[in-house]
Amino acid sequence: MSIDLLVQALLNGFGLAMVYVLVALGLTLIFSILEIINFAHGEFYMLGGYVTYYVFAVFGVNYFATLGFAILAVGLAGVVAERLIFRYLRGKTLNAFIVSLGLLWVMQASAQLSFGVLDKPVPSAFSGIVRAFGLVISVERLVVSLSAIVLIAALYLFLRWSRPGRAMRAVAQDADAAALQGVDIELVSALGFGIGCALAGGAGGLLAPVFAVSPAMGALPVVKAFIIIIIGGMGSLPGAVVGGLLLGSVEGLGSLFMGSAAVNVLGFLVVILVLLVRPRGLFGGA
Amino acid sequence: MPLELRSVGRRFGGLQAVADLSMTVAPSTIHGLIGPNGAGKSTVFNLITGVIPLTSGAVFFKGERISGLRPAEICRLGIARTFQATTLFREYTVLQNVLVAAHLLSAPGLGSALLWSSRYRERERRARERGLALLQTLHLAGLADQVAGTLPHRDQKALALAMVLATGAELVILDEPMAGLAAQEKAETTSVLQRLREQGLTVLLVEHDMKAVMGVCDTVTVLDHGLRIAEGTPREIQANPAVIEAYLGVEEPGA
Amino acid sequence: MEPSRGLSAPPGRALGAPIAGLALLAAGVVALPQLTRDSYYLDVATTILMNLALTMSLRLQVSTGQLNMAHISFMGIGAYASALLVTRVGISFWAALPIAAVVAALLAFPIGGLALRVTGPYYFLITFAFSEVVRLFFNNFFVDLFGGPSGLVGIPKPSALPWFGRALTFTTKLELYTLMAALLLVTAAVLVRLEHSRFGLVASAIRQGDLLAETLGVNVFRYKLTAYVVGSLVAGVAGAFFAHSHQVLHSSDFGLEPMVLLVVFTVIGGTGSVWGPVAGTVLMTIAGELLRELHHYESLVFGVVLILTMLWAPDGLVALPGKLARRRRVGVSLAP
Repeated sequence: MSIDLLVQALLNGFGLAMVYVLVALGLTLIFSILEIINFAHGEFYMLGGYVTYYVFAVFGVNYFATLGFAILAVGLAGVVAERLIFRYLRGKTLNAFIVSLGLLWVMQASAQLSFGVLDKPVPSAFSGIVRAFGLVISVERLVVSLSAIVLIAALYLFLRWSRPGRAMRAVAQDADAAALQGVDIELVSALGFGIGCALAGGAGGLLAPVFAVSPAMGALPVVKAFIIIIIGGMGSLPGAVVGGLLLGSVEGLGSLFMGSAAVNVLGFLVVILVLLVRPRGLFGGA
Repeated sequence: MPLELRSVGRRFGGLQAVADLSMTVAPSTIHGLIGPNGAGKSTVFNLITGVIPLTSGAVFFKGERISGLRPAEICRLGIARTFQATTLFREYTVLQNVLVAAHLLSAPGLGSALLWSSRYRERERRARERGLALLQTLHLAGLADQVAGTLPHRDQKALALAMVLATGAELVILDEPMAGLAAQEKAETTSVLQRLREQGLTVLLVEHDMKAVMGVCDTVTVLDHGLRIAEGTPREIQANPAVIEAYLGVEEPGA
Repeated sequence: MEPSRGLSAPPGRALGAPIAGLALLAAGVVALPQLTRDSYYLDVATTILMNLALTMSLRLQVSTGQLNMAHISFMGIGAYASALLVTRVGISFWAALPIAAVVAALLAFPIGGLALRVTGPYYFLITFAFSEVVRLFFNNFFVDLFGGPSGLVGIPKPSALPWFGRALTFTTKLELYTLMAALLLVTAAVLVRLEHSRFGLVASAIRQGDLLAETLGVNVFRYKLTAYVVGSLVAGVAGAFFAHSHQVLHSSDFGLEPMVLLVVFTVIGGTGSVWGPVAGTVLMTIAGELLRELHHYESLVFGVVLILTMLWAPDGLVALPGKLARRRRVGVSLAP
């Protein structure tokens, strides 16, 4: 087997993995602030997909403007969900699980009723392929991966340098201590949930042209995101990125040797291997 | 010596919370551990009971090394503790709390519980009786069927003590047993502690109320910034210049 | 009148409640076939009984504070084990049933032992990963053994049992209902007995404060693992019944979707009492069947019900009467 083939497989794996990292980052951000796992996260991804379908494919607005709009709209939907429901569930993992499940069903059913059950194809915004160093990658995949990386970098800068971003990290570390220092927990929680959902919405917008848009489209990325955050460690942002790269490379390489169904097992096997060594994930606390 | 700490240390990242602490707690005494806030008192308790691992040194109980054991194993050997923020099984009644704590002395196996044998029922009946008798001595018998989470503060404190005693421990470690109690209640707690000493138990306690500490303890160890700065009888401690400077200087000794 | 009585007795732990509850359950189970022999109702009722075995055993695990998302996998292990023992090894269903349950319990030791090193959301996600591995394993590996994506077919119904000179058969819906009813009543008796024993007392104490329990000498890990293994044994029994009553197995029968339903039944009913899952499973299954009429709106309404129930009754349906009574009592005491 040639080196080129291996590198090509890795590249294929990384391309989509970066988008799944976006979904995972949203999940892990919400977890770190509210201590809950949002099972309806994939439905916010789905919402981003439908926004992209209507604004970009139907009304013909510029793709990147559409993406920005999808991020904002889904982020706003996240803030509403937090204010109406999730703020009452801070730290109640079990109850939040049931509630987010309820929200998942509500959102999927609403999507079916308003948009129909059939797949809606979103035309590709970019065509053509790039060849370099004997590797082949489609322009679309390249744009998708690069956009995901830009969003990840933006999140990093926001959390590192902005005031609300620093407040979020303080709450994630110790909510009580942050509250004592005057951090507005309610505001941080609403904003954190909103940003988490916005990331999922952006991911949905990015993958809408790659896959079609459908009410159940959120299931796959959310499972990938779960694998990523278990590997990386819950609540850890660098962990999500590393977990995504690991999953992407394992799946990319795995696809050289086995069918797609068996590749899905690989991710979970990596999870179990990692957890045998580090029960809380690579970047999880002791 | 029931309890002996040899050069015990604990480091959190860059912070040396407890440094090179050696002390012994003599059997059937009441031993006080005092020091200003942040001196490392609660950390010492967590190190002794295995709640957090120590980074240097070792702890011995009745000649046996206990550092490195899990909290449950340490409890099995005869050390039980209360927590500073009084922790109870809040949904359970007072008696149920004591029964959980007493499980080491009288826990029936899974099989006999399922078979509901007469021996099992007899054991359960005796465990309840013992629990009620223990509650009687701490003036909690009337509250046996109350849900623990609804009790007033002083009764929660008393229940936490009852649970520690129910484990059958020889060494009881109490983190601020007087905190938040009225003068009358403190006096009651003091007499309970003295009675425990008469029964042969050893008590190690952290307490902020100096009057109570000096009144009840046989020996007092003073910690400051994770270091032991003095040890002796309450009278010696009250006269120790290092203690007065580091700690009692803030308020008059015995105030 | 003793005003403090109701408040002081924790829900579901009052004396006499276990026997009364079991009697009520048995009465309901016996009464149903007298009321109807309609095959639709018998099907739904049989499914409820099987799900009760699963949710009550899941509750045993949750009582130690851990939500095991791989519970359904042990049902799957029991199902595949029993099906293969009967079809490949050729032993009778009645021998395969206990063996399948023991296989599930034995596999629970390593899986539970690994997962229980962590708690809370970590545990939740790890057990979820385990369940997916088990499901994908049944789906993709040893296809000639497990049947792969097209499923394991041709599983015979439970064989007849000799009974005082005549044969008890298990082929009709009523007979299968009776079999599951018998399995459930034994299971429920064991689980209720366990709940009201010192084991149950200590197990629920762990949920309320695992560090406190540990410092009081409770080997927390051992209690959790015991609950895990006992729960998996019950799931294995349910799985064996499922295999021989449905006669076809697909890996998706033991996937995320049915697992999620079990969790919904259990948590909506209330995990604080052994009767919570019973209330949740019966009510939610009936509600689900009624909502079928709504077609597209079914999952919409179901979702709204879940959200509102959890916001209004965070401790589940069984905690609701006590909560309402307390509110009423407070209202009375405030009145002049």
